[in-house]
Amino acid sequence: MTALQTEAIRSEAAATAPPAKKKPRVLGTTSWYVVALFICAVMVVPLLWMITIGLKSRTAVFDIPPRLLPHEFHWSNFIKGPQAIHFPRLFLNSMIITALSVLGGVMTAMMAGYALARLRFPGRKLWFYLFVGSMLLPGVVGLIPLFQLYKSIGWYDTWLPLIVPAFLGGNPLFIFLARQYFLAIPYSIDEAAKIDGAGHLRIFVSVMLPLTRPAWLTMAILAFQASWNDFLNPLVYLYSSGKWPLSVGMASFISPFAGKTPDWSYYMATNLLYMLPPLIIFFAAQRYFIQGLGALGSTNQK
Amino acid sequence: MSRNAGSDVKAAYLFIAPAMIGFFVFVGYPLVRSFYLALTKYNGLTDPVFVGLGNFRRLFTTDPAFWPALRATGYLVVLYVPLSLILGLALAMFCNQRFAGVRVVRTLAYLPVVLPAIATITLWKFMLDPQVGLLNTVLDRVGLPQSLWLQSPKMAMPSVVLVMLWGVGGTMIIFLAALQSVPTELYEAARVDGAGPWAVFFRITLPMISPIVLLQVILQTTAALQTFNQPKILTGGGPGFSTNVLMLSIYNNGFPSLGRIPQLGYASAQVWVLFMIIIAVIALTAKFSSLWTYSDSTSD
Repeated sequence: MTALQTEAIRSEAAATAPPAKKKPRVLGTTSWYVVALFICAVMVVPLLWMITIGLKSRTAVFDIPPRLLPHEFHWSNFIKGPQAIHFPRLFLNSMIITALSVLGGVMTAMMAGYALARLRFPGRKLWFYLFVGSMLLPGVVGLIPLFQLYKSIGWYDTWLPLIVPAFLGGNPLFIFLARQYFLAIPYSIDEAAKIDGAGHLRIFVSVMLPLTRPAWLTMAILAFQASWNDFLNPLVYLYSSGKWPLSVGMASFISPFAGKTPDWSYYMATNLLYMLPPLIIFFAAQRYFIQGLGALGSTNQK
Repeated sequence: MSRNAGSDVKAAYLFIAPAMIGFFVFVGYPLVRSFYLALTKYNGLTDPVFVGLGNFRRLFTTDPAFWPALRATGYLVVLYVPLSLILGLALAMFCNQRFAGVRVVRTLAYLPVVLPAIATITLWKFMLDPQVGLLNTVLDRVGLPQSLWLQSPKMAMPSVVLVMLWGVGGTMIIFLAALQSVPTELYEAARVDGAGPWAVFFRITLPMISPIVLLQVILQTTAALQTFNQPKILTGGGPGFSTNVLMLSIYNNGFPSLGRIPQLGYASAQVWVLFMIIIAVIALTAKFSSLWTYSDSTSD
């Protein structure tokens, strides 16, 4: 997108500003769809381009001028590309790291949210403000001290720095989200459960978790993406390439080792496979996703 | 509730214990430790040597890379934050209309956000290639001038920002939620009064979503100040120092490649400069927020 083009959608969308649910059309329907089509193209064309590169031969990628469609289709790129970086192993690494981070992050945030929203204890307000406040602390402040800490306890070049923090309330945003959801549940429900003799653990597991499904599903999706997409942390903490997750492996793919030009067609084919899990999850859980983020937008306002 | 007060307290601390421990380990400890390290010379192997404000003196007076890093970071923020907010809001308003296919547009606009940063950044790196990239090919076909993009010192940072803006769907989705929480009666009343689209935007829409705009200014600015992935992958900080933002400088000092000695104390000093800038941005935005945000009386 050039500045001119971005200017164009910006002004066009602004000119048709009023977000009323009726139809105060300043532009005609046609120009409306031109804008819509343009937005879709900007988002989709790069991905289509990636697929065509992934299907080209290694040399056809460097044709000048570039062809938009492959001259001949090289499906084998989808085998040879992944082989070049030991894809199955890195994929498994990513899966293990991500699964554990999701479990830990969602579990501890839900527990903390439950306590902050539904139990009375001294320091309740203070801890809420500390957690919310820590959202503002930039991650970079922890980079060096935590690196040293992990190194001194022998966690350098292991997955522990990527997993353990999730089990210690690693994402304050999740704690905040969980608390907001728990606040919206009527108190009569757990009063009733208490009269039936249920303890807090029982109430949390069998009453609250089913009721807060949209909340923890949203968190699980966000946690999955955060961990699957994370690049800086594995880059800093993992030295051995056999332990890398896919993010670091993919980045190493195209760094010009010893002046070698990267194999872009192999790379793009592999990139597609790397993108697939978050893509599938996004499309499968879209409904929860928009719902959950919607709640985020409106709760922040209060 | 009061009958069970005792068991409540015990249960509460059990439930909250992991997050409490996490707070001390991941917030409290790094804050104190990184401040101490900023005042030392430290290579990660031998003990830190206290040098007072020496690191800061070196940063501001003798380091030839520090001011360019500050300038690059500032340039990135100034370019990215307003564009991301305006584009995100425009996109949200477009997607807040009713027309057939609006959900498709909404989904596709959000799509880049869910894709792994590394996957999309490397894709753009290839698209921005001056010879074989898609962008110049398209510009050429429609008769517009081409560019060297990442390879030109002048265009490198705008190119980095362009790649970041592809993820504007993240800003959009928050604005969309905010727009949907504006009561429709207000728009109906405005229409009865005969207000035009611009008046409606500036008198109703913008004031009603101003708390979210404020939040977005803070979040986007603090995130932009910590940009790392894009310059690291797209340019490695070059050409020259044109995209060598503060985060990249911190990374290269703290975790250098090819057997160079890490300067963890020096990198920590840079972390604290960045941290102070972030705090200043938050404080200033919050201070001036009362001038332009609208708060309704029901929220306290």
